[in-house]
Amino acid sequence: MSPPTKNVRNIEVIDVSKRYGDVYALKSVSLEMDEGECVALLGSNGAGKTTLLKIIATHTVPSAGGVKILGEDIFKNDGTIRRKIGLVTHDSYLYDELTIQENLQFYAQFFAGNGEKIRLDLIEFLGLKRWYNVPVKQLSYGLRKRADIGRALLHNPDVILLDEPFAGLDITTCDLLVQYFEEQKEKQKTLVLSSHSVEWIKKICDRKVVLKKGKIVDENHIGEKD
Amino acid sequence: MKITLVRRINMSFREFRRATFLIAQKDLKIEFRRPYEVLSILTFSVGSMLIASLALRGSSTVIPEIVAAVLWIIIFFINILTFTTSFTREADRGTLGGLKTLPCSPLAILAGKIIYGTALIFLVICVLVPCSILFLNLQLGGSFPLLIFICFLGAVGFSFAGSFVSGLVMFSEGKTLLLSLLLIPVCMPVILPSVITTGKIIRGASLFDILPELRLLLAFLLLITAIMILTFTFVLEE
Repeated sequence: MSPPTKNVRNIEVIDVSKRYGDVYALKSVSLEMDEGECVALLGSNGAGKTTLLKIIATHTVPSAGGVKILGEDIFKNDGTIRRKIGLVTHDSYLYDELTIQENLQFYAQFFAGNGEKIRLDLIEFLGLKRWYNVPVKQLSYGLRKRADIGRALLHNPDVILLDEPFAGLDITTCDLLVQYFEEQKEKQKTLVLSSHSVEWIKKICDRKVVLKKGKIVDENHIGEKD
Repeated sequence: MKITLVRRINMSFREFRRATFLIAQKDLKIEFRRPYEVLSILTFSVGSMLIASLALRGSSTVIPEIVAAVLWIIIFFINILTFTTSFTREADRGTLGGLKTLPCSPLAILAGKIIYGTALIFLVICVLVPCSILFLNLQLGGSFPLLIFICFLGAVGFSFAGSFVSGLVMFSEGKTLLLSLLLIPVCMPVILPSVITTGKIIRGASLFDILPELRLLLAFLLLITAIMILTFTFVLEE
């Protein structure tokens, strides 16, 4: 008899609260995400989705609680942790004056190892080859977003955090991304995405977590209560 | 679970140095892709020097202390112009978030900004000092390298103070005003020895004569470095 399979926790959010002045952006949020799982964060504007993603990405320090990624406390050594995280947010992290190549090269240089090889694969996959040497300021919103996704994934992270990844993208690119994210799930990467696009969420996510006023109000597998 | 709210990023000195230079290189590349900003700083500094020379044209001999004051007032304003775009531009455009995704210490980001600032200010100084010799009819003789050395130290001091203050105010609403207001007291330990030393050098002083001021400048650099090491991690937090 084969031993029972145990899910490996890639992300553990433990009783996390974040307060800005008197306002709680997150209040005692606890969440676990396994490897190979894709979790959708749902909720209206101001529900705390972006704050939660930023805390997991080590961008923002929580007011209370903690986060573990692959068993490591993210605030004890976020230098190592950051090599395991890829983050796409509303803001583009690309520099307008630099070309896509220069931008990706800048970011890749910090992630020692296979950045160069992955970057070229990704560029081709995201259909950016034609614009590789074009300054980012000359790109359309969609192309810029694609390049930003390339930036977040160039170091092959174990945990992929995506804030509204499909916003502003055409259907072909969204399909491409879904295909890419499916591949990443098969490679046992964990994906957390916040989106208002239910159609795309149903395509790739295994579980949805609904946030309201900084609290988790609903959590179930996709298809259970849709 | 034990909560650790202080970021600890372990980096070897080699990694730190590499990260610092990558950030400085990126900033300088961006700066020279938009040359109108550097050119406007250069135009301002040469224009100011020209106005000073016109104002002092009646004097047969220019008082060294006045020349030193003119020079450092211009450099101080160059400092303000440079650092209003240092961290602030990253925060305004959202690219600061990108820097926060990098596996490097916040201090490496700050150090990168300091190198970028020093390079930019020193570049302007390299144009400004020959202009002051030309327009104010300075007779420096053998003191020219010493003046450039002091200007470089001043640029480093301004860059330390400017980068730190720029980081401090980047999330505030009136950041341009705050930066200008905060830079005056913070830069005072740089301005004072630099002005005194420059006056002395124009009068023909040697390196030995300016040692007390140099000590003050170095003490300031040590102090602000210590403050930055202790606090900058928290500055990057929103």
